Amino acid sequence: MTYDVYMHFPVIAIMTLFVGAFLVTLVGKRQAARNAIAGAAVLVSLTLLALLIKPVMVDGEIIMYWMGNWEPVEGYAIGIAIEVDALSLFFGLLITIAVACSAFYSFQYIKQDDARGSFFTLYLMLSGGVLGIVLSGDLFNIYVMLEVMTFAAVGLTAFRTWNPNAREAAFKYLVVGSIGSTCALLGTALVYAQCHTLNLAQISAILPGELNPTTVLAFALLFTGFGCKSFMFPFHPIAADAHGAAPSSVSVLISGVFTKTGVYGIIRVCYFLFRSMGLSSVQIMLVVIGCISMFVCVTMALNQHDFKRLLAFHSISQIGYILTSLGLCTGLGIAGGLYHAINHTLFKGLLFLTAGSVLYATGTTYLENLGGLAKKMPKTTALFLIGAFSISGIPPFNGFYSKWIIYQATFEKAAETGSIGYALVTVVCVVTSVLTLASFIKVGHSVFFGQLRPELAEAKDPPLGMRIPMWILGGLCVFTGLFPNVMLDYIIIPATGAVFNAVPYIDTAMGEGYAAAHLASTSPFVTPNYTLLGGWDPLAWLVLFVVVLAAVFLCSLAGRSNRDVNCAPDSKHAVFFGGEEAQYSHISGGDLFWGFKHTMRRYLGFVSGAHTGVTNDYVLWGVTATAVIIAYCFAFML
Amino acid sequence: MMLANYIGAIALIVIGFYAMIAKHDIIKIVVGMGLTDYGLNLMIVSIGFNEGGTAPIFTFGELVSGMYFVDPVPQALTLTSIVIGACVTAMALALCVRIYNEYGTVDSREIRRLHG
Repeated sequence: MTYDVYMHFPVIAIMTLFVGAFLVTLVGKRQAARNAIAGAAVLVSLTLLALLIKPVMVDGEIIMYWMGNWEPVEGYAIGIAIEVDALSLFFGLLITIAVACSAFYSFQYIKQDDARGSFFTLYLMLSGGVLGIVLSGDLFNIYVMLEVMTFAAVGLTAFRTWNPNAREAAFKYLVVGSIGSTCALLGTALVYAQCHTLNLAQISAILPGELNPTTVLAFALLFTGFGCKSFMFPFHPIAADAHGAAPSSVSVLISGVFTKTGVYGIIRVCYFLFRSMGLSSVQIMLVVIGCISMFVCVTMALNQHDFKRLLAFHSISQIGYILTSLGLCTGLGIAGGLYHAINHTLFKGLLFLTAGSVLYATGTTYLENLGGLAKKMPKTTALFLIGAFSISGIPPFNGFYSKWIIYQATFEKAAETGSIGYALVTVVCVVTSVLTLASFIKVGHSVFFGQLRPELAEAKDPPLGMRIPMWILGGLCVFTGLFPNVMLDYIIIPATGAVFNAVPYIDTAMGEGYAAAHLASTSPFVTPNYTLLGGWDPLAWLVLFVVVLAAVFLCSLAGRSNRDVNCAPDSKHAVFFGGEEAQYSHISGGDLFWGFKHTMRRYLGFVSGAHTGVTNDYVLWGVTATAVIIAYCFAFML
Repeated sequence: MMLANYIGAIALIVIGFYAMIAKHDIIKIVVGMGLTDYGLNLMIVSIGFNEGGTAPIFTFGELVSGMYFVDPVPQALTLTSIVIGACVTAMALALCVRIYNEYGTVDSREIRRLHG
């Protein structure tokens, strides 16, 4: 093996973060040392994973590491494995990028907080837990990391002592999240009862085949467990609470990174462990859950009055896109889903960081209390616009390309199966995209544009240390939008190939020929086909975008002379105002789209009223969802 | 014999979920989470049990053919799960104390500043 040295990288990447968490606690209150350790830990882990791109993504190697060198004996895996294929590395990379940007942002950002000492301990534990999930090759290890991650996330949600809602959000998160953990662990136990092993690769080889009631129950439980961690539809209220209450740099992790572990788990469960994705019932389940998530959450987002809570609902809406796309089980579908996963991490990270900057500068994220910040915070506004264009899918930004693939994938699936349902999925995707744009117009208008509120006159752009991570994320948003072919060739296609073909994953762990000996069929579900129906040239769109921007800018410049005309009290206007002086008047975000909202008032009122905020109700939703998924699996999979 | 364990485990999990759904006292919700956890632990440890098996500790001198032992892996899993369960309970109770200080109540119907 020429890749011997690489095999230690994944385990070191995880260990660095946990050791960093320990050392950060040791240095205590010394700020420079704390920042140096945290920064070094995240950078080392990012570098190690970036070095793996060449062997894993380009050369197609799979990195295998047995903890303590406990290799399989007589075809049974005893030790704990760390196995990195293209799919794991894909998720590992997007996690470490978000973690690194967010950590550097936090150095400045948490200066407002009073309990700074423990922040980076929890932060690095969260990062290590998340990375551990996606790189691990052991089902129980994944569960333990899931719990480590949840604890750290709950701790960080409750972290802001001056935020009055933080404890409530953390409590709900812990209680509802425990349903997911319970389901995941019960599923793991049932899988163990069937296979007598916990190694992912070995389970993938032994378990598929005849489904019996135990495996169906295990599948339903594992699916719900990971679905809860990705905050899919009935679990979404806790996500909104937690994202809103946590510090913004942590919201980046909870929204961009945390949810991805759920998506990763669902991919592993459906495509590897049970190989059940070929069943149309499982495809329909995933697509329906995805569609409901994306539509319900985007309409909830339209109703919100808090910047971060609004972003949180959008986050789940985008997860809906990813789940829908992954549920299609076609080459384009997986590629679109994975592409959207990385784009979501980038643009949602950027948006949460801009929300954090607004909070840092003004002390509030309540939309009705903000307005006109573009004059005071031009750099943040530019970054916000990049993020908003990306999430709304405006070409040439990255959100457009992945949504473009998803639309085509759903349409292709509709043509393939001849079912009208999948065509409707395309419609739901497009409508959701439009509503996303609408709610970002609302945010942009009520936070950055319009008249400046008098009390915000002191606001200014955040310091350079906070802007650089935002520019990195913004730059990556533009890069992934402008050069989709680079992304597809080096990152997405290898990861998609890994999803379809479980055989190399099994053989690397258990020895050559193990998969062929145990699996009924070693062929992939479908032959991946990545041809897009229509092409588009991102650079041409960039030119168009710049031309339109320049035109708008010129028009705006031309009209500049009569914009700030002094509206001094004039006797000829007095007849209209009754002689009163002109006052500050900002059209608040809540008043935008009132016609649409009025037409939809029954539906919007219903969904808004359903999110009661009572913990018991959310638990009821979660348990009901678990029961429905189990019943569905028993009805249609056996 | 194992059937009783499985029924007991599922019953504990269901009672735990019931407490989390129906009880409005947040301390009782935490108790419900604990019950779910105990049910789960019972389930896992029962999965590894073999009728008539001995403890999974052997030295080579004692090994006689025909001997077998209970599966040690689920016991290890249960230990981990118990530790995690204890942490969850501790953390949830700590949050309950803070919530009581801030809201002046432990009724979950009144702890709903974040809604809609």
